[in-house]
Amino acid sequence: MTLRTAVAGLVLAGAACAQGPSENSHPGVNADSLIISDFQKRVADYVQLRKAVESHMPPLKSTASVEKIDQHERELGDEMRLARRSAKQGDVFTTQIAGEFRRLIGFAMHPGGEKIKQSLRHAEPVQLHLKVNDRYPKRVPLQSTPPSLLQNLPMLPQEIEYRVTGPDLVLLDVKANLIVDLIPGVFS
Amino acid sequence: MMDRRTLISIIPLLALVPSVLLLTNSPAQDLPLKPQSVRFAVIGDNGTGEPAEYEVGEQMERARKKVNFDFVVMLGDNIYGGNSAADMKRKFEDPFKPLLDSGVKFYASLGNHDSPNERFYKPFNMNEKRYYSFKKGNAEFFALDSTYMNPEQLDWLTSNLHSSNAEWKICYFHHPLYSDGKFHGPDVDLRARIEPVLKANGVRLVLSGHEHLYERIKPHDGIYYFVEGNSGELRPHGIKASNDMVKGFDSDRGFMVMEIAGDQLYFQAISRKGETIDSGTIERQDKVTQAVQ
Repeated sequence: MTLRTAVAGLVLAGAACAQGPSENSHPGVNADSLIISDFQKRVADYVQLRKAVESHMPPLKSTASVEKIDQHERELGDEMRLARRSAKQGDVFTTQIAGEFRRLIGFAMHPGGEKIKQSLRHAEPVQLHLKVNDRYPKRVPLQSTPPSLLQNLPMLPQEIEYRVTGPDLVLLDVKANLIVDLIPGVFS
Repeated sequence: MMDRRTLISIIPLLALVPSVLLLTNSPAQDLPLKPQSVRFAVIGDNGTGEPAEYEVGEQMERARKKVNFDFVVMLGDNIYGGNSAADMKRKFEDPFKPLLDSGVKFYASLGNHDSPNERFYKPFNMNEKRYYSFKKGNAEFFALDSTYMNPEQLDWLTSNLHSSNAEWKICYFHHPLYSDGKFHGPDVDLRARIEPVLKANGVRLVLSGHEHLYERIKPHDGIYYFVEGNSGELRPHGIKASNDMVKGFDSDRGFMVMEIAGDQLYFQAISRKGETIDSGTIERQDKVTQAVQ
């Protein structure tokens, strides 16, 4: 990585990271921003792979055929599983990134995070223990992710989203219905 | 005065009275049915595929023949459980077949039981979007995804509400900001984020589901909130007493019909049996403000 790329990444990360830096750091260029930048790079890599995989499939358009929607979701999920057959927990949420997320989530929930906790309690909590590359089970509701929590986490491209599954935070590829990665026990 | 013997002899006959007659005899508002008004129905938490959902569908068709609404807004949990082709047929296409056959359009929002990929299902008219808006007459409807209210969606809502020149701005989404339901209650975090946007941009009506009951809540800062989450599911005795509630109904399924005619919005909540549970009129906010001035 060139110095220019690194600096550009840091600035971008500083802007993208909604939450402020840790106590001994400086806004814009700091260790937290580097971690978030690393996270966003890993997410971007996933999205690039996903786009490449999907480009070989017929595009999914609005249709009255439920079979077509279901088929696209399954095929995309299967192809992504194949393309990421060696994927494992921590590929996106590395130890360092997971630590940063725990800090951001902790910051959002304390103090004054009572609304988030209440929202989590009222959102029909699900108790699931999913693994990387799992399908999100069709019959299990999606617990809503509290908006104030989303406000405090790095923004994601539209292909994937943060979901709460019991005590875990997962990255869900919605169209492929695929678990990209997770941080276990973050809401314990 | 009817004597006891006469009364007893009449009771079995009452069971034969068709529900249509009960509808006629109930204190129904039946809306004003003004020319060129915007008429629509509201359902929430409908997608069970159980007989009760079909009965709601039948009752809606009766209401359509009377009221002539031409679209339905769906407040989420459109399809419970799986969403295979068989599920969609049993939980949506069949219960609402008479309405679909009559050309009534459905505009869905996503609930926590819905797959986000329902946005590709054409009969839900979401145009592949998880949140979107559409205009009907002098009203603009904003269908939101309250299961994932991220900053992008909030920005979209703020910008589109602000730029809307509709006389009526109506938002609908699954999770209620206010509710006296015992099971879930209000989503206070969602409320903290979204309510200032609604208030600042002239939204007058908010429709939600999630709690499996009907409730009309006292207006908050000029915004009327309804919970209509009993179009398929039902949580009997699910409402707790509250000063915030104007009308609650938790003993059967139901749906709503609404009519926007100029500066008035008329609403009517109807049970699966065809009885009118609640009805009333809401004045447009600008109109109220002008009257006060």
